[in-house]
Amino acid sequence: MDGSNGLLIVDLLRSGIRLATPILLAALGGAISNRAGVLDFALEGKMLLGSFLGILAAFWLHNSYGGALVAVLAGGLLGWIFAFFYLKYKVDLVILAIAINLLISEGTVFFLRTFYGNVGSWTDASIQQLPDIQIPIVKNIPVIGQLLSGYNAIIYASWILTALLYVVLFYTPFGRHIRAVGENKEAAKALGINVARIQYFALILGGGMCALGGAFLSIGHLTMFTRNMSNGRGWMAVTAALFGMNNPIGVFLASLLIGVADALAVRLQMLTTIPPMLIQFLPNVLAILALVLVGLRNRANVALIRRKFSLKSQKISEDGKSEAIS
Amino acid sequence: MALAVEMTGISKYFPSTAVQANRGVNFSAESGQVHALVGENGAGKTTLMNILYGLHQPDEGEIKINGKHVLVPTPNEAIHLGIGMVHQHFKLIPSFTVAQNILLGIEPHKYGLLRQGYENDMVRALADSFGLPVEPSEKVSNLTVGMQQRVEILKTLQRNAYILLLDEPTAVLTPQEADEFFKVLRNLAERGRTVILITHKLPEVMKVADQVTVMRHGEVIEVTSISDTNINSLAHAMVGRNIVFNKKESHVRPGEVIAEVKDLFVSSNNGAAAVMGVSFQVHKNEILGIAGVSGNGQNELTEAITGLREVDKGKVLLASLDITKAAVHERRKSGMAHIPEDRMTMGLNLQTTLDENVIVNQYRQKPYSRAGFLVAAAIRKLANSIIERFSVASAKTGEGIATLSGGNLQKLVLGRELSGNPHFIVASQPTRGLDVGSIEFVHKSLLDASRSGAGILLISVDIDEIFSLCDRIAVLYRGQIAGVLSAEDADEQKLGILMAGGNLDPAEEMTQ
Repeated sequence: MDGSNGLLIVDLLRSGIRLATPILLAALGGAISNRAGVLDFALEGKMLLGSFLGILAAFWLHNSYGGALVAVLAGGLLGWIFAFFYLKYKVDLVILAIAINLLISEGTVFFLRTFYGNVGSWTDASIQQLPDIQIPIVKNIPVIGQLLSGYNAIIYASWILTALLYVVLFYTPFGRHIRAVGENKEAAKALGINVARIQYFALILGGGMCALGGAFLSIGHLTMFTRNMSNGRGWMAVTAALFGMNNPIGVFLASLLIGVADALAVRLQMLTTIPPMLIQFLPNVLAILALVLVGLRNRANVALIRRKFSLKSQKISEDGKSEAIS
Repeated sequence: MALAVEMTGISKYFPSTAVQANRGVNFSAESGQVHALVGENGAGKTTLMNILYGLHQPDEGEIKINGKHVLVPTPNEAIHLGIGMVHQHFKLIPSFTVAQNILLGIEPHKYGLLRQGYENDMVRALADSFGLPVEPSEKVSNLTVGMQQRVEILKTLQRNAYILLLDEPTAVLTPQEADEFFKVLRNLAERGRTVILITHKLPEVMKVADQVTVMRHGEVIEVTSISDTNINSLAHAMVGRNIVFNKKESHVRPGEVIAEVKDLFVSSNNGAAAVMGVSFQVHKNEILGIAGVSGNGQNELTEAITGLREVDKGKVLLASLDITKAAVHERRKSGMAHIPEDRMTMGLNLQTTLDENVIVNQYRQKPYSRAGFLVAAAIRKLANSIIERFSVASAKTGEGIATLSGGNLQKLVLGRELSGNPHFIVASQPTRGLDVGSIEFVHKSLLDASRSGAGILLISVDIDEIFSLCDRIAVLYRGQIAGVLSAEDADEQKLGILMAGGNLDPAEEMTQ
């Protein structure tokens, strides 16, 4: 492989990491809700809210970090509203998700038109994109430095959150309670675990993370808001959460795969004569394949458990037989 | 001896169902004893224990634990007071290990992180100290039902429960597992724990309990020690009249084959083989029982025969007519009736009227339907005759049925299914969750149907039911017939061995 090919690959991966970040953040949010037993289909709407409020707040506060923070808080609030309607009024999750997705996508358009007289997109020259940060020492390592350094704060945050969530979920009592609630709510409740509190927590955290992913689009990747900016990434995030088995590490890899596929699609469009619609479809094909794999794996798992169980009961029955004889 | 639990004057009224579940109940249990709380379904025993466990609040009355007045507003408070409850349906996390389940909510941690190795040691020490061995690192989904129950008990012991409430604990166990379980209970009592056993199975009360409290219609009828009573007098107290607990006798000689299953293979929802090569015949005037621990293919077998599930291989014949692929309504037209396991969701539609419920199996037929329209008068007549013949209390034509009791709902199902004089009746757990009076009624109806010529396939996990009704008993184990016994040859021991997957031959050799 010559040098230029190597550079192309590094470039592709860097681009893939950037494209993966909003999906990763929303997917982590979705994964934690799934772990707590709430299948969240409103990731798309929560992201879009983050894109919209992130850039508006960055404009008002003259500070893009402030914009990201406002987006996270607003996402958390939306997560709380979602949880409130679900837990207090037992609204069906699908209906609630449709309502929130529609409300945010139409609400942002309404707001733009009313206050800025604009329908398609909005930006202001004063808004600063989140700056890229070089990591000392790491940046000087060949190849690795190029891959790991020189991103904005939201990208680094998404990596830290991945690791943090993994530790919390699998190595702390609180994480174990979240998983218990997701798997058998009644069992957790009977042992005095506050199910509603855990689900509130998961949805608020999930909302905040979705919105951070959304803010990455409007102030991290571009410096503008466009109508329906999340553009299906929330749904890709639902897929990534499921494909990653709701395990933060798995979710990270799944999101990265989708991001790289996205980046590849962009490059193929420029380099080949294949119709662009077909190439843009690539990440979606990947998503469908991923879901098929998840489905097959679940089925194989059930079969495996069954086989193990029957072997075990066979053994027990043999023991029973020998007891009956003796 | 000291009283561990003393409940006085407990009353509880449920406005939503207008049921006075407990009326001035006095209940006490001594420490270090196994105390059985018996009664029919709906007698109020579970309500009483739910009050003790903080799941319900009493309208009146007071509770003393170890001689001290207490309030039990929540299960958390109950746990704090040293009360533990093992529910009828286990509350376990399948993907967690034994230790993770036992320590859920009280995990030991250091610097905010779990200590997984230490957890296993803790659980092993606890298990050893009570003589209840378990493997702490095994996933709960890999355990047998009996072991899962052990995990549930250890869960309460880990939380220092001195008073254990067990709600119908043997319902899910084979007779052998149940015997093992009784030893565990005796062992706990010897270590000073108080065990309160909610049950309606009197033989096990006689086997394991020291004291017994009998409840009926929300009131305590009798409190006695086991040495001063016997099964018949307990049954009398429980039901208010004499009940006969006998094996079926006086058979009508079975006639020709009514229905036949030949080498049947059926898959479960996840694609695994659930029924593997099952064959049997049901004769006229005969009740054939399918016994077995639940989950051994009963559901799939029932659904395949009644047309609710596709058959992979093999044949189902009804009066020599091949109905393997026939639609449900075709099967019913050929004389099959089906009493499903779940009357609330499968047997009846609680959202609609009694009239609609009684004709769902024959609404296409005359006289209930003419030229594509339902004939209200004919339907009403049928409904009234069912209400009368099957004494469905407090039911009225044209009205909803959601408020009827379980027993009356099941009578309605029976009425509908039996009113067309079917040749072949598939009855799946027809008395599950019913009170003794209704059970008697259901049994009598099925016996009557078999005398008047029907062949009946009874699928039940309740051995007493199998014994009291069946002429022949087939045991289903892991999707196969483990053995077929005639009623005269069958006893609890033999059925138990077959149900656990054992083989009768060596056992018979030993007894000879």
